[in-house]
Amino acid sequence: MLFSGNVSAQQPLRWGADPSGGAPYVYNDPNHPDQYIGYEKEMVDALAAAMGRKPEFAPSDWETLVSALQRKSFDVIVNGLEPTSDRQKQIQFSKPYYIFQLALTVRNGEQQIHSLADCKNRVVGTLGNTAASRLLQKENIPMRAYAEPLTAYRDLELKRIDAVIMDVPAEVFYVSKSTTLKRACEPFFRGTYNVGLRKGDDALKTEVDAAIDKIINDGSLEKILRKWGLWNDAQLELQKPAKAGEKNVDVGYDITSAAFNWREAIWRLTRAAFVTVLIAFGSMVIALVLGMPLAIGQWKGPRPVQWLCTIYVEFFRGTPVLVQLLFLYFGLPTIGLAMPAWLTALIGLGLNYAAYESQVYRAALEAIPRGQWEASYLLGMGPVLAFRRIILPQAFRIALPPMTNDFVSLFKDTSTAYAISVWELATAYRELANASGQFLLLGVAVSLYYLAMSLPMAHLARRLERKLQRREAIEAVEAEIN
Amino acid sequence: MIRATDLIKNANGARILRGVSFEVAPQTVLGIIGASGSGKTTLLRCLNGLERIDGGAIEFDSIRLEANLSAAEYSRRVKGLRKKVGTVFQHLYLFPHLTVLANIIEAPTHVLRVPKQQAESEAVALLDSVGLKEKARRYPETLSGGEQQRVAIARALAMHPALLMFDEPTSALDPKRSAGLRSLLRSTVSRGHTMVIVSHSIGFLEGLADQLLYMEGGEVVESGAAHQILNSPRDPRTKDFIEQAK
Repeated sequence: MLFSGNVSAQQPLRWGADPSGGAPYVYNDPNHPDQYIGYEKEMVDALAAAMGRKPEFAPSDWETLVSALQRKSFDVIVNGLEPTSDRQKQIQFSKPYYIFQLALTVRNGEQQIHSLADCKNRVVGTLGNTAASRLLQKENIPMRAYAEPLTAYRDLELKRIDAVIMDVPAEVFYVSKSTTLKRACEPFFRGTYNVGLRKGDDALKTEVDAAIDKIINDGSLEKILRKWGLWNDAQLELQKPAKAGEKNVDVGYDITSAAFNWREAIWRLTRAAFVTVLIAFGSMVIALVLGMPLAIGQWKGPRPVQWLCTIYVEFFRGTPVLVQLLFLYFGLPTIGLAMPAWLTALIGLGLNYAAYESQVYRAALEAIPRGQWEASYLLGMGPVLAFRRIILPQAFRIALPPMTNDFVSLFKDTSTAYAISVWELATAYRELANASGQFLLLGVAVSLYYLAMSLPMAHLARRLERKLQRREAIEAVEAEIN
Repeated sequence: MIRATDLIKNANGARILRGVSFEVAPQTVLGIIGASGSGKTTLLRCLNGLERIDGGAIEFDSIRLEANLSAAEYSRRVKGLRKKVGTVFQHLYLFPHLTVLANIIEAPTHVLRVPKQQAESEAVALLDSVGLKEKARRYPETLSGGEQQRVAIARALAMHPALLMFDEPTSALDPKRSAGLRSLLRSTVSRGHTMVIVSHSIGFLEGLADQLLYMEGGEVVESGAAHQILNSPRDPRTKDFIEQAK
């Protein structure tokens, strides 16, 4: 026993959290980008000290914290994690270390929204897979899920959404100094932050609980919270039962239960599938239309036009579509061009695929023998007529198979719209699966959706191809017979 | 009357045509013979305006192409020239996505704006004259090489050219089909067309060409009446070529 106790004392406390946009919990120090700061970082330092261990931080992704814990990427989650009942099915929780409330933020000029109930027909932004997002779902309020508080508040400023609901610590950090945003009402709702642990790690849980008691009772947690402006009288409730030696303090705070509902999930997936289809078709139209002038410009245009088209093509092919979407969504508003997320995805993917389509067109056009042009010219046709009547129809047949391939891959690339919080299939999968832990079944369902959409398309393209060839094939067969 | 005077054509730093001159009288056939690389195909491409000449002049009735014309003026005149000249390439370049009939009416309906029905009945008559009436609805690739060539001839004739030019018309034909083509061309001439035929096959031109022109190294070595060139060439180089070709 003594031996094993020694070993555990020497083991580091490996804790996982998402530092990206993680202020004030844990985030990169703007002055020393290689260091992490945050009130939870300081709290973990205190906890580890109380446990006689060395803290070891494992930066991770918020949406996959629970599964990363289960995969033993680290041993505890300390990231403002709420003990929701769906999470309790997968992992266990320590006693609470913080009581949080939710703050509803609106723009300064907002007159209509004074409570969450006023948001029934509005779009409210929040972090994905949080108590706040579950609350919105439960109340049937249209929601946009974000990966970081900053982007949610920025979209609120840009009027892409009508309100943002966020845990008070994040809200204090991001909004308290804002001149354009305000609280819609007093903070409401109460929940707790607890340390997440793997089921079965009971010894560690006992150790962590004791450490939490210790830093609450010796006032070191209060000192940290005061330093970060997060202390309030509500936190006293955590001291009382602990001091009195009571247990189960968290019972009163678990208001966040979102039992997984398959019917609801399928409906939300279906909605996501429609958005996916809309984005895919819309951007393909842009790509097909814009690809042609690009191809012709690069192929036959005057020098400067050739250069411009080449720059366009190389830019869009040489940079990741994800970066392009982020640029369009977050970069363009700084020059006064703010589009809704779905439109940004539609246009961004369209611009991106136009670069690819232009190359398909160009290759197809160049594959037509020069003699076809010359024969047209010698029959008195001008370049435009020759192109339209003779070259284009032949090039179309050559271009059709690669165009089909591009469309199917565009279909799959709509998943990059996740980065700008469009509720399409990939976003839906991540969100729903993280909320429920049903990665496998939901993955199958989402794959079926993708297939149900891409297979008919491939089939259609094959039929079109065959139709174009059939006339000639019938002739060929007849010729064989004669 | 078609007249070429001192034609010069350069390409890639080499002189392909070195002062070529000749005349073709209306409703006659000029055969241009010579080994490959002698410049005969380039000469043809200059005559139909696919290549711009670098010296000399080409005259066709009132149209005159000269090396020193501006690009815009040159192409304007080439446009006028092409209304009078039809070309059948060695590789034909039929439009593979169009039926035989559509190949033939494409230019009449879209360039000359002939009504579609009229263009079709004219095309059918042309196909009849080349013996392909029943293949009007077929696609070119389903036809034999000889049939494809006759489609190309009909396609060129549909634009009513005064001059018809051929580049190596017999390269893909067996002797029997060559003879068939020759009689087809003869009847075409008798209907009032002038012809320039580039060929290395002397047998094909014999009895078809009125005049012959022998080229070597971008120059005209000898030209004159066909029977004179074939039977008593004056230049030893012409004599060598004809003897080897026979």
